[in-house]
Amino acid sequence: MSTDPRDPGLRKPWNLVLLYKYLVLGFVTLMIIAPLITTALGGFKSAADLRTNPFGLPTVWHWNQYTDILLGIDYWRYMGNSMLISAISVFVTLVCSTLAAFTFAHVKFFGKEFIVGYLMVGLLFPVATAILPLFVKVRDMGLLNTYWGVILPTSAFSLGMSILLMRNMFEKLPRELLSAALVDGCGYVRFFWHITLPLSRPILATVGIIAFVASWNQYVLPLILLNSEERYPWPLGIMEYQGEFTTDWHLILAFVTLTVIPAIIVFLATQKYIVAGLTAGAVKG
Amino acid sequence: MATVEISNIEKFYGAYQALDDINVDIADGEFVVLVGPSGCGKSTLLQMIAGLETISGGELRINGNIVNYLPPKQRDIAMVFQNYALYPHMTVAQNMGFSLRIRREPPDEIRRQVERAAKILNLDQLLERKPRELSGGQRQRVAMGRAIVRQPQVFLFDEPLSNLDAKLRLSMRTEIKELHQRLKTTTIYVTHDQDEAMTMADRIVVMNTGVVSQIGAPLELYDRPTNTFVAGFIGSPAMNFLNGVARAGRFEADNGSVWVLPGDTSVGDGQRCTFGIRPEFLTTGGDVEANVIVTEPTGSETQIVADLGGEHFVCLFSERVPARPGDTLKLSVDPQKCHVFDTDTGLRL
Repeated sequence: MSTDPRDPGLRKPWNLVLLYKYLVLGFVTLMIIAPLITTALGGFKSAADLRTNPFGLPTVWHWNQYTDILLGIDYWRYMGNSMLISAISVFVTLVCSTLAAFTFAHVKFFGKEFIVGYLMVGLLFPVATAILPLFVKVRDMGLLNTYWGVILPTSAFSLGMSILLMRNMFEKLPRELLSAALVDGCGYVRFFWHITLPLSRPILATVGIIAFVASWNQYVLPLILLNSEERYPWPLGIMEYQGEFTTDWHLILAFVTLTVIPAIIVFLATQKYIVAGLTAGAVKG
Repeated sequence: MATVEISNIEKFYGAYQALDDINVDIADGEFVVLVGPSGCGKSTLLQMIAGLETISGGELRINGNIVNYLPPKQRDIAMVFQNYALYPHMTVAQNMGFSLRIRREPPDEIRRQVERAAKILNLDQLLERKPRELSGGQRQRVAMGRAIVRQPQVFLFDEPLSNLDAKLRLSMRTEIKELHQRLKTTTIYVTHDQDEAMTMADRIVVMNTGVVSQIGAPLELYDRPTNTFVAGFIGSPAMNFLNGVARAGRFEADNGSVWVLPGDTSVGDGQRCTFGIRPEFLTTGGDVEANVIVTEPTGSETQIVADLGGEHFVCLFSERVPARPGDTLKLSVDPQKCHVFDTDTGLRL
């Protein structure tokens, strides 16, 4: 058997497929990063500079636009509100969706498939289509202009996808684990707590992050359901820079850049779980 | 330790009947193997004993108490699964002690029991490892350790060696048998491997298509199978069957060969029947001639597949037979070691 590296059979051929992959990856990366960088750079520009030079480097770096936002109380209030609403929404989504998904995955009951189908139909409706009945319902519950008035609908809109992702994961856990746990003395509750949840950390992280990002970026619901600026999350805080006749786009870009940073940090810290969660069960382990 | 009484047990999945009128009494400390081909219902029966499947009809008693409707945790049984079913996020020690933790035993007691079981199974050095860091054999030992720790009344094994390679399977087989001899816990063991059944069981329950074909000690099943299914299933290589007619103390096979009938058969003169000959009881140098198709020497024995009047006929010789494909092989057999069955019903005559 030849071990000579000059043997054509042992030489790696120049790989066109690999080149094509790198080109596509580079293009996609550029498409994602370019708007982020443009936004961040725009925050350093003056209004005039932004108009004449929207994509280049700032002529003069206005660091104060960022520091003014960071030193102002409004930014932290908006961020605090967003963080509070998102954190509680994620918690409510995780609790409800894990329990529901576990039930759908392991408990046989009449009408199960119908209810799952009903949840899936819910995925087809965007938030905007439900705004009016939602407003009436939240008003009737006395939750208008409260955090819970935003948290509950936000969680509800996250539930459909979360339950489907988790049910998929729970169903892929080997059936024998349930049998072993039942023989070991568990009931369904203990099996859920001691076995299912610890084994589902990737999907919990995935669902948590998806719910967090959805809640963090939520604009329509708070706009309709909140009317006190004290409770506004950051997307409504942008309105502060919108006047009747002019909009301070350079300040909005600086503000948006600062609000995106926490979401990016959360995503970077947990991205390995997202990939693991979305691909869980794709191949036999 | 406990007795297990299975009386008139039935299992339905909708209109499909998976188990029909199963009756087995298992004595205290006995090692019983349920064996049969895939889909015969043996694993379903084991799951019903464990409480993991509902019982459609009949009675199941453990130690005299009816347990039909008791959940698994109240049956005081432990089960070892084919794919180990270890909890991947727990260490070996946590896996083994999990049932005791659920029972809220004191931590010291859990540690003591886990260490005792680990010592029995030589798992002392592996207690802090996760299941993914173990080999197949070690995982199966952990699964057994998890069962031992609970000190149950009955051990249930559901094809525990099927995922192991042939060599490991042999050593684990010995370990399980040793474990039973040491603990003397009533054991019900499911396998599709008749070798496992023969070597491990005190008694074997042979199942086929949801019914019990025969219950008996391993050699009893081998020596006196009650029907063609058991005769063909027990023993390796499988028994040769020839169809023909009994006439004047001889069996005249449809393929033209003639054999002497055993003395104790109740077959009538002129009756059509099936004649069973185990390959290992055939000897060379008789009147029956067969053409060698394939020779398979293993060193300790020689297996020959021959053509007997157009049918494949398997012979197993403990001596070395220098036959080559195309050679003519002369065969004979001790008639007392042959079996006669009704061709229509398959029952022993």
